[in-house]
Amino acid sequence: MRVEKSNLELKVGVFVAVGLLILVVFILLIGDFKTLSSGYRLNFTFHFINGVKIGAPVRFAGVDVGEVKNISLVTDGASTSVNVSVWVKKEVRIPADSRVWVNTLGLLGEKYVEIMPGTNSAAALEPDSVVKGNDPLAMHEVTETAGVLVNDIQDALNRIKRGEGTLGRLLFDDTLYREVDALVIDIRRNPWKLFWKTKEKSVRAPAER
Amino acid sequence: MLKNKLYIIGSKVLALLYFFGGLAILSGRALRWTFLAPLKRGRVLEQSRKAGVDSLPIVALISLFIGMIFTFQIAYLMQRLGSEMYIATIVALSLVRELGPVITALIVAGRVGAAITAEIGSMQVTEQIDALQTLSVSPVKYLVVPRLVALALMLPLLTLYADIIGIFGGYLICVYKLGISSTIYTKMTFDALLFKDIFTGLGKTIVFGMVIALVSCYEGFNVQGGSEGVGRATMKAVVTSFILIIATDCFFTALFYFIFP
Amino acid sequence: MIEIKKLHKSFGGRKVLDGIDLKIPEGRTLVIIGRSGCGKSVLLKHIIGLLKPDSGGVFVDGVDISRLKEEELERVRRSIEMVFQGGALFDSLTVGENVGFRYLEHGGMEKGALKEKVRESLALVGLYSIEEMMPSELSGGMKKRVAVARAICTGPRIILYDEPTTGLDPITASSINGLIRSLHDRLKVTSIVVTHDMKSAYSIADRIAMLYEGKIIAEGTPAEIQHSADPVVQQFINGLSIGPITDTSSVHSRSKIGGEHEG
Repeated sequence: MRVEKSNLELKVGVFVAVGLLILVVFILLIGDFKTLSSGYRLNFTFHFINGVKIGAPVRFAGVDVGEVKNISLVTDGASTSVNVSVWVKKEVRIPADSRVWVNTLGLLGEKYVEIMPGTNSAAALEPDSVVKGNDPLAMHEVTETAGVLVNDIQDALNRIKRGEGTLGRLLFDDTLYREVDALVIDIRRNPWKLFWKTKEKSVRAPAER
Repeated sequence: MLKNKLYIIGSKVLALLYFFGGLAILSGRALRWTFLAPLKRGRVLEQSRKAGVDSLPIVALISLFIGMIFTFQIAYLMQRLGSEMYIATIVALSLVRELGPVITALIVAGRVGAAITAEIGSMQVTEQIDALQTLSVSPVKYLVVPRLVALALMLPLLTLYADIIGIFGGYLICVYKLGISSTIYTKMTFDALLFKDIFTGLGKTIVFGMVIALVSCYEGFNVQGGSEGVGRATMKAVVTSFILIIATDCFFTALFYFIFP
Repeated sequence: MIEIKKLHKSFGGRKVLDGIDLKIPEGRTLVIIGRSGCGKSVLLKHIIGLLKPDSGGVFVDGVDISRLKEEELERVRRSIEMVFQGGALFDSLTVGENVGFRYLEHGGMEKGALKEKVRESLALVGLYSIEEMMPSELSGGMKKRVAVARAICTGPRIILYDEPTTGLDPITASSINGLIRSLHDRLKVTSIVVTHDMKSAYSIADRIAMLYEGKIIAEGTPAEIQHSADPVVQQFINGLSIGPITDTSSVHSRSKIGGEHEG
């Protein structure tokens, strides 16, 4: 036991060192050490952010360029707005006329901040500038709109069913069909009618049959 | 007849109470010695080698296989859902949060815990424990504390190895068998993991290590009746450790679920 | 001076010690005889505080050690050492580390001096240059000698021996007897020896006490014991298979069961 002592310490030492190394690797790979690299802050104001969380990605032209750092409610008189503070990589220049809104990511429905690049690349957003975001549709608004739409369609369908309007007549009134049918029969019997103009009487006669 | 049954129930309950009482007393003493008395470095190192370094091969082997098997099983479902991308996510989360810690703890309970009980048990049978006391050395300080400290420190480290090796097992299957790109697998894995996943996973194992050390030492000290008794105590120590590990895990998982939502 | 007063101890409802009264004067050797498993080792473990009595007390120099806390007990134990039945050497340590164990653990001696002390103690029991061996490499007799060396290393005033000759061949046994005798003469220690080996008892004892069914049934000099009128004592010291001890119609078998707790 005595003799192996240095060996023992080495073994345990290596074991612990490698273990800690794995921990560090884990931490480095998971951790958001993006904050350590340089970037700048932007503030977006929304009236509704549909559940964006701190840490949610920020995408510029569909590329991850930063993340949400802070979310705060701002009550200004009667109106309530949300200030979303985001961190964006230094090298990303966002045109001032870009549009900002909250979007939903993939299968899991995670929310993120989408920035659609504007065209005016001459004027980029300065750090700490405040941009007004386009509000996403709240779910209940979507439902409401859809509800109105569904009602309209329902209404239209009902009217069609009742035979009102052109479409309704076409679908539910067979007068037209019968007339065309009669016409075809008449023409088969008397093809010459295609070439001669007949009197009113002869056209009406088969229809009364 | 009924009286007999009641007698059996009573003695079982009492045995259970004695066990937990004894374990609690031992834990109290061991913790007191751990923090009050200076640790003998050599003894802790020796136990660390036995518990940590020597367990690494088996832990590595089993966690590699678990990672591979688990990936296949998840792939079966995810391919049906058409979301192979999330295999990495599920594998990483389950391994780091649950499978890594528990499987490592069970392996160590079976391997190291059994050895501890057998060693202390045979010391008990050959009166070496009594001899320690007559030489004014507390058996708790001399035998339990180094094992307790070593297991509480080594189990989290072993779990880290198990986590990374298990994830590597999943990587092998995903990249070489299921044709998911290596970059995507790595990215999905580390995107899925959060700090709290790692630290709740590792935090549990400190407690698991202490449970294994204390239960094994307790059973060792309470060996009765020669080498057969040592065998019985060893089996009891492993079974009890298993049960307590799973119970503690259940408790912690529930606790963390509510503390770190 | 060791004094045992009205010592009672039972395990799981079985009385193992049932009112023991004994006095061992300073510097004398008392041999406690009795059948295997009659509670002799239990009695010995009370004297060093490994077991706590149900009632009664063990007084070492007037201090009741059965009422002491662990820390105070450790101080008393510095002057009492015990030689266990199988030696109870720590098998993860070398012989040298075993013998110097108390100093290694508690400090108080520098390396060179300790080495010398260990060598000296081993020489006293007639063993030379085995410090680096492991206990598993030793024979039974050597193990017991090492155990004795460990006990005398710290210079105790009282040494307890638990069956020092059991399991040894007659020649080794008598050499151990000689060792106990000579240690007693040279170091002037008070010794208590538990044994069922009568030859050993006669050769080392100043006084002999017989333990039977949890009680001391006879106490005296070896000659007094040899001429005791008690049939139980007579059966035991002469090793007869027929007599009051083995009389199955009596309740005597009880003590055998009670003794299962003994190491």
